[in-house]
Amino acid sequence: MHSNRLGWLLLAPTMIILFFFGVVPFFYVIWVSFHQWNPFAANPNMVFNWASNYRQVVFDAQLLASLGVTFAFVFFAVVSELILGYLLAQAFMKDFPGKAFFRTIHTLPLIMAPIIVGSIWKLMTTPSIGIIPSLVQSWFGLDLNIGQSAAAAFITTVVMDVWHWTPLVTLSLIAALVSLPPDPFEQAQIDGANKRQIFWHITLPMIAPAVVATVFIRLMDALRTVDEVLMLTGGGPGSATRYIGVHIFKEVFPRTNYGYGSAISVVVLYMTIVICWLLYVGLIAPRNTRKG
Amino acid sequence: MSFAYKLGASAIAFAVTAGMAYAQDASTFWAEAAKPYQGVTLHGVTESTPPSNYVKDVLAPEFEKLTGIRVDIETTSWDQMYDKAIKDMEAKTGIYDMVYIEQDIIYAYLSRNFLVDTTKLLADKPELKSPNYDEANFTSFANYFRGENGDLYGIPVEAFIKTYLYRTDLFNDPAIQAAYKEKTGNDLKPATTHEEYTAIAEFFTEYGKENGLDLWGTTAQAHTGHPASWYEFVESIEPTFGVYNWGIDAANNYAATVENGGRMNSPEAKAAMKYWLHLRDIAPPESVQSTWTETATTMAAGRAAQGLIYGENAAWIASDENQSKVVGKIGVAMPPLSEGVLAQAEAGEGYVGYYDGGAFGIPVTSKNQDAAMLFLQFIAQNDVQPDWALAGSRITNNATYDDPKVKELDAKLGGYFTMLKDQGKLYAGAPPYPFHAQVREAVAPIFYDILTGKIDPDTGLDQMAQKTEEELTALGYRK
Repeated sequence: MHSNRLGWLLLAPTMIILFFFGVVPFFYVIWVSFHQWNPFAANPNMVFNWASNYRQVVFDAQLLASLGVTFAFVFFAVVSELILGYLLAQAFMKDFPGKAFFRTIHTLPLIMAPIIVGSIWKLMTTPSIGIIPSLVQSWFGLDLNIGQSAAAAFITTVVMDVWHWTPLVTLSLIAALVSLPPDPFEQAQIDGANKRQIFWHITLPMIAPAVVATVFIRLMDALRTVDEVLMLTGGGPGSATRYIGVHIFKEVFPRTNYGYGSAISVVVLYMTIVICWLLYVGLIAPRNTRKG
Repeated sequence: MSFAYKLGASAIAFAVTAGMAYAQDASTFWAEAAKPYQGVTLHGVTESTPPSNYVKDVLAPEFEKLTGIRVDIETTSWDQMYDKAIKDMEAKTGIYDMVYIEQDIIYAYLSRNFLVDTTKLLADKPELKSPNYDEANFTSFANYFRGENGDLYGIPVEAFIKTYLYRTDLFNDPAIQAAYKEKTGNDLKPATTHEEYTAIAEFFTEYGKENGLDLWGTTAQAHTGHPASWYEFVESIEPTFGVYNWGIDAANNYAATVENGGRMNSPEAKAAMKYWLHLRDIAPPESVQSTWTETATTMAAGRAAQGLIYGENAAWIASDENQSKVVGKIGVAMPPLSEGVLAQAEAGEGYVGYYDGGAFGIPVTSKNQDAAMLFLQFIAQNDVQPDWALAGSRITNNATYDDPKVKELDAKLGGYFTMLKDQGKLYAGAPPYPFHAQVREAVAPIFYDILTGKIDPDTGLDQMAQKTEEELTALGYRK
C-alpha cells in the first residue's frame, strides 16, 4: 500500500504537467472546434455554431486537395525511408573500414531542428545560387526551380524528409537486427534457404514489431510536417506542397480562423489514429492471433 | 555700453544658461525617471530588419547604460513576429512590453484594443515625459499610428517607401545606351510608364543572355507560396495602374467585384497582373522564390538592372561594400505609372506606391508599461535618429533630413531620402482594414495558382474578388 502511494506521488508531477499541457489543450481544441471564432472578425467573440466547422471540412476543396498531397507525401516519404533505412541498417551490421565514422555522419541530420533543415534545403535549391539546381543542370541539362515546378517542389520535400529522417529508421532497425537470435538463420542456411527466402520468412517477421513501430512514428510525424516545408516552399508553388500541417498553420495563425482550424486539427488527429489502427490490425494483430 | 548691446549680451547669457539647464535636465531626466524601475527587464519582439537590429544592438544597450533598465529585443522573421505578438496579446500573457506594429496591422490591433494610448499615458503621468520627446518631431508617417481620437498608439521606428531602384552604371553606359537606342528607338532613362519599364526589362534580360552575364532586366518579388508576392502586387503594382486599397471599396459595403462596385477584378487590375507576370518571367529565376529580402539581395548582387525595392534595403544596397556589389551604382526614381495616376496621387485621390514602416507599441497586457514608455521616448529623440538612419535607411523625425551625415548618405543613395521627404506624400500605407491577413490568406491559394499558371489571370482575379466578398461576409464586415 505504502509503495503504491509512493508510486503515485512520484508520478504526480508528470501527471500534472501532462494534464495541463496535454489533456486540457486537447479538450480546449475540441471545444473551440464547435465555435465560429476569428478574433479579427467584426464580432471577435466565440460563437457556438454546433458542427458547422465539421460540415465545412467535408466541402472544403482546398482542404481535400491538401489531404491528397499529404497522403502522397507520406506514402513516398515513409516507404522510401523504410527501404533506405533497412538497406543502411544491413550495411551497418557488417564491418567495413570507417564504419563508426559513417554511422556518425549518417546520424547527424537527426539532431538538426526542422526549421534549420528547411533553411539549408532552401539555400541548396534556390536557382542560380543553390548547388542542387546547378548539379541537376550540369548532369541532366534540366532547370530545377521548385518555385515554379509543382513536381520538383513535391519531390524535393520528399527527398528532404528522407534525408532528415532515414537515420531514425536506420537506428531503429539496427537495434532490431542486433537483437535477433542467430539460430533460425543458421538453421535456414543448413536447410538451403536463399537470401530472399531468409529475408521474407525469417528476418522480416522477426523485426516486424520494430518496423511497424517505426512506421507509426514516421507516419505520425510526416502527417504533421510543417516547419521544414513552410521554410522551403511556403506550401507552394501554388498549393503543390500545402500539406495538411501547413494548411492548418495558415488557417490558424495568419488567418486566425481558430474555430475552423481546430476542427481540421481534430479531424486530422482522428484520421491519424484510424490509419495507425488499420496498420496495427493489418500487420500486428494477425501475427498475435497466429501466436495465440 | 549701449542698451542694445546690454540687451543682446543678456539674451545670449540667458540662452546659454537656459540651454545648459535644458541639457542637464535632459541628461539627468533618464536616470531620475528610471529610478522606480530598477531591476526591470523590458521584452520586445520585432522583425529582424536593419532598423530593428539597430534598436537591439545600439539603442537598447545605450538606454540600459543611462537608466539601468535592461531591454531585451527579440528579432525574428516577419511571420513569427506577428505570431508571437498576437498570441501574447490575445492570451493576455504579458510576455512582451513592446511589439513591432507594421503599418498595415495597426488597424487590426486597434480594433482589438491591444495597444496602450501613449499620448494619454504621458498626459496622465507627466513625470514620465522626457523633455526631448514631442510628437511634433515625427514626420507625417506617425499619423498612421493614431487612433480615432487622434492619439498616438505606436512610436515610429521605421518609415520608407518601396520605390524604383535602377543601376546608374548600366543606364549611363554609352555603349548600352546606344544598343538600347538602336533596339527600341528610345533613349535609355528610368522608365516613367509601364511600357518603358517593360522595354528596359526585356532589353537587359536579352543583353545579359547575349553577353553571358548574370544580369536580368528587373526584379520580381513573386514567391509562389509566401505573402510577399501578394503584397508586391496589391501594394506596389496595382496602385501604379490606378487600383487602390487592394481593389476593395470600403465605402461601398466592402465590395471587391466589379459588379458590386469593387475593382479587384477590374480591367486595370487584370492589366496590372499581366504586366507583372511578364516581368516575373524575364526576371532572375530566383524571383519565384523571392520575398522582400531575396529581391533586395538580387539587386545587391548586381543581378538586376532595375526593380521595385523596399527602402529599408536601399542604404545597404547602395553603400555597404560588405553586402553589395553595386555600391555607388544605384539611382532612385518614382515607379512607372499609368496615365492619370500621378494626378490622382497629387490630389490625394490615389497613390503611386507603398509607404511602409512600423512603430513600437506597448501592449495593454504589458506589466511594465511605464518603463516601456521611457524606452520608446528614448528611441524617439532627434539626437539618436541620424546614426539610425544611416544604419537602416529609415527616417521618422523631420529633423533627421537636415543632419549632415544623412545628407551625405542621401547623395550616395541617389537622392532616396530627398525623394522620401519631397515625394513621400504621393505614397501611401496599407488601407485601414482590420482584416488584412484574413483576406490575404483566403485568396492566397487562388493568387498562387495564377502565379504558377494553373489558372489564367482574368479568371483568377474574378475568383479572388468573389472569394474576398465571401470572406468579408463571413467575417461580418460585408452585409
